[in-house]
Amino acid sequence: MIEKPTLLSNSFRFITIAMLITWLVLPLIPLAIWSFAKGWFFPHILPKYWSLKAWEYALSDTAGVLDSLWLTIFISAVATFLSILIGVPAGRALGMYKFKGKEIVELLILAPTIVPGIAVVLGIHSVFISIGLTNTVTGVILVHLIPTLPYMVLVMSGIFANFDAEFEDQARSLGASPIKTFWYITLPAILPGIIVGGLFAFLVSWSQYILTLLIGGGRVLTLPLLLFNFATSGRNDITGAIGMIYILPGIIILLLTAKHLSGRSAVGGFGQI
Amino acid sequence: MSDRTKILLLLAPALSIIIILFFGGLFAGLLRSFNYMPIIGLTEPNFEAYISVFKSKEFYLSFILTFHIAFTSTVISAILAIGSALLLRRNFLGKSVINFLFQINLTVPHLVGAIGILYLFSQSGSFARLAAEWGMIARPAEFPELVFDPYAIGIILQYVWKEIPFIGVIVLANMQSLGEDYESVARSLGANRWQAFRYVLLPLIFPGVLSASVIVFAFTFGAYEIPAILGANYPAALPVLAYRKYTDVDLAARPEAMAMAIVIAILSAVMIFYYLRYTRKKIRG
Amino acid sequence: MTHVSIKKLTKIYPGSTEPSLDNLSIEIESGSLTALLGPSGCGKTTTMKMIAGLLSQTSGDVTFDNISILNEKPENRGVVMVFQNHLLFPYMNVLDNIGFGLKMRNVDKEEIHQRVIEMLELVKLPKLEKRMPKELSGGQQQRVALARALIVQPKVLLLDEPLSNLDAHLRFEMRDLIRNLQQSMGITTIFVTHDQEEAVVLADKVALILDGKLKQYDEPDVFYKRPIDEATARFFGGQNFINGASKNGLFESSVGKFKIPEICMKGKGILTFRPENIQISNSKSTLNSVKAKIIEKIFLGTQTRLKLSIDSEIIQVIANPNEVENTETGVEIFINFPPSSLWVMPK
Repeated sequence: MIEKPTLLSNSFRFITIAMLITWLVLPLIPLAIWSFAKGWFFPHILPKYWSLKAWEYALSDTAGVLDSLWLTIFISAVATFLSILIGVPAGRALGMYKFKGKEIVELLILAPTIVPGIAVVLGIHSVFISIGLTNTVTGVILVHLIPTLPYMVLVMSGIFANFDAEFEDQARSLGASPIKTFWYITLPAILPGIIVGGLFAFLVSWSQYILTLLIGGGRVLTLPLLLFNFATSGRNDITGAIGMIYILPGIIILLLTAKHLSGRSAVGGFGQI
Repeated sequence: MSDRTKILLLLAPALSIIIILFFGGLFAGLLRSFNYMPIIGLTEPNFEAYISVFKSKEFYLSFILTFHIAFTSTVISAILAIGSALLLRRNFLGKSVINFLFQINLTVPHLVGAIGILYLFSQSGSFARLAAEWGMIARPAEFPELVFDPYAIGIILQYVWKEIPFIGVIVLANMQSLGEDYESVARSLGANRWQAFRYVLLPLIFPGVLSASVIVFAFTFGAYEIPAILGANYPAALPVLAYRKYTDVDLAARPEAMAMAIVIAILSAVMIFYYLRYTRKKIRG
Repeated sequence: MTHVSIKKLTKIYPGSTEPSLDNLSIEIESGSLTALLGPSGCGKTTTMKMIAGLLSQTSGDVTFDNISILNEKPENRGVVMVFQNHLLFPYMNVLDNIGFGLKMRNVDKEEIHQRVIEMLELVKLPKLEKRMPKELSGGQQQRVALARALIVQPKVLLLDEPLSNLDAHLRFEMRDLIRNLQQSMGITTIFVTHDQEEAVVLADKVALILDGKLKQYDEPDVFYKRPIDEATARFFGGQNFINGASKNGLFESSVGKFKIPEICMKGKGILTFRPENIQISNSKSTLNSVKAKIIEKIFLGTQTRLKLSIDSEIIQVIANPNEVENTETGVEIFINFPPSSLWVMPK
């Protein structure tokens, strides 16, 4: 609406936007400062001495932070790969077909996005113990599928809902085999969805804490577990450095996909992070 | 191949994973909460775990605290998110910057946000130091307790920080796809700015706000690491309490942990049920 | 009844140097139905939104009965705009949609209900008050949108492309409805359209706007008989343009001299005439008669379209099929131009 902006309404707008921006970045600032601080005690607003010690520690071969990083990347990458493999066909079924019981199937698949992990992981743990999957990377990857897979299905069903199956029929009638049709026709059409969905499924797995803690039993030490341990043991400088490393993939992924990220379907999975 | 078989084959892997892991986990938890686990010789189900949970004062305190955290965080986040979206939808300069910040926030895990809030609001945190600088307090203990506090202020601050962008992005996209014509119609029919918002824009964006809020409520009700970092020791949030019970040296406490997990699951199920019923009703008109 | 004056109204959008609307001035008689006509992007919707208060003007003024309204908020102007895509509030039923404006004015529920029922009778949609918008056809939605606007008894009603979303058979029905309601309630009405036919069938007066500038503001038939320039003539489907010069009541061109009406301009100009106003005969008549060769003949059912060459000029003629039944492509005939059907525009 056009209401001519007055000086008052303009400055109100400006101030509230400035406050919003500040609030959005504020919690990350002390974390970043801590990673370069050496003994930063009350009541100093800024550290008296600066140091790279925390970063040296975090990036050294012996501290185990890098091992954790690679392990976390491995777990999230495998969980993402499996989610794509399993989620794309399911997304196709939900996006392209109408069938009896579809609403129930959707409800079943989407339930994990609402029901918190703690509600299911305790039961899973008691079963995993008896089949030897606790304290293993395999077990952790399996439970990570609970939040990542529904997200992948959600994204892919949106992509397939906009995909016209007649392109495939056209290819078949021009002599392409089912495999060739998938490779040359379907895959190129859904690839952007797979990439964006996959990157965010990766982030969903990347941010899991309680699932990893319980099923991994503390033996599968991913980055968030390490971060939690340092944060609760009062090593603020190292916590800061690990925290910065931990948020990096998300920012990189965001920069890669910024233009695809709008609307509800792409964002839906963030409730899980 | 018939369409039926095709659909079944396409869905089979995903459904198996979800049913075995997710519903299997829920089911195992349910059995365990009734003290039923034939593998270790428990073959006679009973309600002992529930009786002991519902008899304990700590559980009720925990439940109330957790509900307060989830409800307050969701309501504040939703209101501020709508406000932010209103503020930003026509602001071309600030839009790209804030959009980016919104999205960065979305990718930052809650755990990191919780640590950031801890460093900002604890009694020796950044705000306490600013207060000292301005001579408002002399010692950290004089700064109000904003984390580890009984009202869970720190936890709520963290959720608000993280969920304003989550709901905000959804609302903003919603507003942009609606455009401003509906409000223009309302204005030209005699609605003032407030009325156009209250009677036209708000009902139009409400379904989007509601679905985002359901996700936020369920998440904030069931999250572990945030109350574990920022919460008071007693009473602890329900997920923290459940985890403690589960990892208690006394294995007898495990069924109680399971019972709490089931309470959390039931609450989420109720949320989904009412949400679906509401949206269906809206869709049917 | 409200007299509307638009005075030198100009809109330059932020970040643009070209005005989207450039010094538009028109007087709109109270109780009349006026069309703002032009292709999309010509500035007509911009004009309407500025009158409604949904967009701020760069300069100029709009007055209702000589009182400027530009400082009024949109809800206080007494102007209601009906959008092209109806924009019925999707979560409200027909009753609540139509009653919306009254609710905003705190009219009590009983009275709103009463007046909505009356309004539904007027727009010929009785008993539909409980329906939701998506349960209505496009034509019904349009009528609900119209009822929603009329119920607040606006001083000025603005309609955006009121007939363009409708099937051909609904157009006339809707046109009659709009005209009847507008006349009986005496509401000064302005509508925008890109369709010259829509403008002509509905409006008392038409303002043609091209590239943000007012070209011509006249009764509909004038645009056919006396267009102000070639662009205007072309917009109204004019196809015949012959270069030459006008002198002493005669137009001289490479294909001959033609007697033209006295009121035509003098000097170098373009001669134009409607394809349907040309007479065809086998023999030369005394006045404004030239020989032409048929180069194309297309039978269109109720009429026949001929493409004729007169020396180097090509002209289009629409004839009665019976008159040209026996003529074939390649045949030479005579065509007569009645002087009253000729018009000269500046070059």
